[in-house]
Amino acid sequence: MNRRPRRSLPVDLSLITVLAVVVVAVLLGSAHLRPYNAPELDPRPALLPLYLLFSLTRLVVAYIVAVLLALGVGHLAARSTLARRVILPILDVLQSVPILGFFPVAVGFFIGVFHGSALGVEAAAVFLIFTSMFWNLAFGVYESLITLPEELVLAANEFRLRGPLRWNRLILPATIPGLLYNSLVSWANGWYFLIASEIIAVGPARYTLPGLGSYLAQAVTVGRNDQTLLAIGVLLATTVGMHLLLWGPLDTWAERFQLGESGDHPRTPRIARALGRSRIVRWVTGSIVIPLSQQVLSTSGRVLHFVGRNMAWMGAALALVAPVVAVYGGRRLYALFASRPPSAELAAIPGDLALSFARVAFGVVVSAVVSIPVAERVARHPRFRVAALAVIQILASLPATAFFPLIVVLLTWGLGMNAGAILLALTTMFWYVLFNVVGAAAAIPKEMQEAAETLGLQGLRYLRRIFVPAVLPGLVTGCVTAWGAGWNAMILCEYIEAGGRTHSVRGVGATLDRATYLTGDMQVVAASLGVMVLLIITVNQFFWEPLYRYAADRYKMGV
Amino acid sequence: MSEPARIAEPPVLLGLEGVEQLYDGKIRILGPMDLDIFEGEFLSLVGPSGCGKSTLLRIVAGVLRPTRGRLRLGGRPFRGVNRHAAMVFQSFALFPWMTVVDNVALGLEARGMGVRERLKKAEKYIDLVGLSGYERAFPKELSRGMKQLVGLARALAVEPELLCMDEPFSALDVLTARTIRDLVLDLWASSEVTTKTILLVTHSIEEAVAMSDRVVVLRANPGRIAETVDLQGLPRPRRSDAPAVRETVDRMYSLLA
Repeated sequence: MNRRPRRSLPVDLSLITVLAVVVVAVLLGSAHLRPYNAPELDPRPALLPLYLLFSLTRLVVAYIVAVLLALGVGHLAARSTLARRVILPILDVLQSVPILGFFPVAVGFFIGVFHGSALGVEAAAVFLIFTSMFWNLAFGVYESLITLPEELVLAANEFRLRGPLRWNRLILPATIPGLLYNSLVSWANGWYFLIASEIIAVGPARYTLPGLGSYLAQAVTVGRNDQTLLAIGVLLATTVGMHLLLWGPLDTWAERFQLGESGDHPRTPRIARALGRSRIVRWVTGSIVIPLSQQVLSTSGRVLHFVGRNMAWMGAALALVAPVVAVYGGRRLYALFASRPPSAELAAIPGDLALSFARVAFGVVVSAVVSIPVAERVARHPRFRVAALAVIQILASLPATAFFPLIVVLLTWGLGMNAGAILLALTTMFWYVLFNVVGAAAAIPKEMQEAAETLGLQGLRYLRRIFVPAVLPGLVTGCVTAWGAGWNAMILCEYIEAGGRTHSVRGVGATLDRATYLTGDMQVVAASLGVMVLLIITVNQFFWEPLYRYAADRYKMGV
Repeated sequence: MSEPARIAEPPVLLGLEGVEQLYDGKIRILGPMDLDIFEGEFLSLVGPSGCGKSTLLRIVAGVLRPTRGRLRLGGRPFRGVNRHAAMVFQSFALFPWMTVVDNVALGLEARGMGVRERLKKAEKYIDLVGLSGYERAFPKELSRGMKQLVGLARALAVEPELLCMDEPFSALDVLTARTIRDLVLDLWASSEVTTKTILLVTHSIEEAVAMSDRVVVLRANPGRIAETVDLQGLPRPRRSDAPAVRETVDRMYSLLA
């Protein structure tokens, strides 16, 4: 159906331009890596826009791949019980693996396959960013699809909706709100771990890619505060820009896909309305963002339908590949520990783990306790809430590295590194909890709020009897996410290099860091990763899951 | 406003003066209007969608602050949540994680009453609405009618002077609605319940005529009082097929036409 064919030319031209820019950037980036042996990053501020472009390109590519794969995998898990039982646990485990755990794969596979060339390193970086974006997208798609109202599915079947049309009209629209929300989380993650993705180290090998992340890391390490601030500024400006030009309009566009009533309809914030008057913004939204999204939707529909039809074959292929990979990995692991006597550091790992566990647990508790009153305040002012959520997302994108100089200052004032590590971890953990609690608070039915008011409930009693129970499922979800993020953060936070000096505290994150970036001791890397992932999964299984089930059962509001 | 002269007019429990509600400072939802709620009366607000009757109720209950205008309680100006009023909601608004008795005792808990005392009082009101035995049940185990009975008990338990009901029977089936309507009237007349003034918002003229002493008919865009009808002349109990009742209902429909 061709509506407004004249409009397509600008969109097409824009698409081609964007594509061309991406290709050029990748090639330029690759040129920087020949000859390749950890070159010094040129710290001239004038190059920052270029570095930003490189980083953005990697993020965008990783994101697109993550979304497409998430749609495929999530849909598969939602459609087939067998697939679900295989896929979900795998996703759970892999989600708990800190990004450093993927370094060996990144280096071994991508760089190895491309024979150490520049393209291989870029691919490895994109892969690493992908691993920070993918899991929650996949879960989001899965959840959107299993909560599809039955009537819609029945109607679709009744109308014999099959193939790409079923994707376009039923499946993809259902996943859009979840995808959008999780995209914000994924992008925050992507920015947060950009540094880890642009500086890859395995054993003696070290690869540095030019980009905003590596620029920031270098600036902090050598102690150039001016460069640090500049990099942070660029990062903030980019995330704010993305919010205004991309996520905001997408949010509005995605509202039509909302299944079911939303709790409260906040007014569009003043800044969004002011921007709405700008011709440029309206043009970008109308001519690029929205048509592009629709186009991506329909193309994805065709692609995913193709995948779905050949699912049986792909499943079989995967079933063959997986054990091979597992066996290969197992043998390598065994060889690692059999080839030489175990490192002395291995004995310290359980103790390291316990300390890190205490820090992450403390961080979760603090985040929960602080976010409750804050979320309550924010929830009382619906107009303020939209802006607050955007601010939260933007701040969540700031990598822990950006806060290193601040922490160093606090350290010189007598703050212990233990507290420093917790504070740094909180810079990511807190936002997850707050975001979820604010979202849950917004979903409290208005009449329930009014009932609490007329009955005279206020202050601490209101929080205890009404607010906390009402947001409990969201609070638990936030805490689980913060818990996972906290572990990932420990890797960045327990051992920091800033201002030419290193500050560290005993913990499994520091151990992993040192083993990865300094000593290259793969035994320590494997062992610490292994116990960390094991602990995370165990706690998820025996604590968080039951807790969430209890909260959802008793505290969910379903009238 | 045409009202027949009364021999002895009861005191005004709550008065609204010049009350207006504007959305965004620009769009007029309601008013300006004056309204007096007399002590001991059953007053209904009826009107089409968008006439602001629910908004008006919320202003009276104090959960919504009017853009302009004043409220007087017992002659004295007041602001904020109305501690002398309690609300019953269309969607029941029960707290799903609390049992029936905890829900009903909530208002008493907020007023600082001790555990034993408030549980006893809550049980009294649960019994009054006919839900004796359901104290430990959770809202999700109850039918809609029972949920609304809990909502009613919860509001009555704080022994308010004014009971505000926002389309309380809209979400119920016709039979249950009728039963609960009769219950409300019985409780209103009984000496067990101290609440003697009731403000009911409804879109059903029949309901208003069946229950009220006085009906305020509101018109939409903007919300304004179109007419106030005194029904004290109609004897209780009011049967829907009684000619006087039918005539009144017809007359009021024509008012809204």
